[in-house]
Amino acid sequence: MGVAASALDYDAELMLRVKDGDGDCFGLLLDKHRVSVIHFLYRLVQESAVAEELAQEVFLRVYRSRSSYEPTAKFTTWLFRIATHLGLNWLRDGKHERGLERLDYTPPDVPVRQITDRRPTVEQQLVYDVTLDEVRQAVAALPEKQRAAVLMHKYEEMEYSQIARVLGCSDSAVKSLLFRAYETLRARLAHMGRI
Amino acid sequence: MNCPMEDRHSETLVAYAAGELDRETAAAIERHLSVCPACRSMAAEQAALWNTLDIWEAPPVSSDFDRRLYGRIRNEARLSWWERLSRPFRPMPLRQALPLAATTCLLVIASFLVRQPDQLTPSRPRREVVRADQVERTLDDLELLRQFGTANQAETPHADTM
Repeated sequence: MGVAASALDYDAELMLRVKDGDGDCFGLLLDKHRVSVIHFLYRLVQESAVAEELAQEVFLRVYRSRSSYEPTAKFTTWLFRIATHLGLNWLRDGKHERGLERLDYTPPDVPVRQITDRRPTVEQQLVYDVTLDEVRQAVAALPEKQRAAVLMHKYEEMEYSQIARVLGCSDSAVKSLLFRAYETLRARLAHMGRI
Repeated sequence: MNCPMEDRHSETLVAYAAGELDRETAAAIERHLSVCPACRSMAAEQAALWNTLDIWEAPPVSSDFDRRLYGRIRNEARLSWWERLSRPFRPMPLRQALPLAATTCLLVIASFLVRQPDQLTPSRPRREVVRADQVERTLDDLELLRQFGTANQAETPHADTM
């Protein structure tokens, strides 16, 4: 499917300029999508160092593919397709079982949630840690496609149609995936006070 | 509006909880929620889940992320053509390498078996062409041998008398 240059999204235009040898445009794309790709991968693999390594590979692949790039879909669809592929492959390879970062481990640089005061009490921090741990475990327990769909929908605010293209399925399949995933999460997290 | 739960359109309630609906559709949902306890309960649970998921914040990105990435890009530029060509196979994990190796083995065996029947078929007996002059020459040779033998027999008694 060819997309006319005028109808391209801005990212695709930038990527076409990268294809023409404009390295600065690659920097712009990196600035724009670095955080979302890393955060998506972090929530998928649940290890911050691995997420950054995988994100490096994502952008490296984008750069390598510049000469053959054709704007057949939204740039972010392509970007997240690569990220999802790498993330799910990493999970399937079982590498997460070797370099295990415990689900209850919180990296020291994770921003502490401010609840009422600038400094949460010990009790508030404990409740927050337990809640976060349960959320991470509940998401990690989802089947991989449901997990990827939830992360793209909830945290990247992607539309059903875009998630469908990333996962290579129909819009209705994505709706069904998300519905089942949220249903499972509601059941798993129902015992928590918030739900 | 029809009940989203009964019509199997529960994703509308998910979208409502996520604040993704336009104002008109959201208003229609709210009117429905006021009269439908099942949808009201599901929408409330979904909204609570939505808030709970919000607490999961990702850590900040390392400050040297770009430096490492551009370093890798520069290293790529220095790779030889052979290294670039073999790159897709180098980091291949066992999970991907094994099926590839198995497929290659199967193809090799299959190509061997496909070629083998020709080699196994017994070759047809070669039809030898016998030329007429060859036959004649052979018959001449035989005749000479016969005559030579006769002459030997005739000469032998004479030799004994000497």
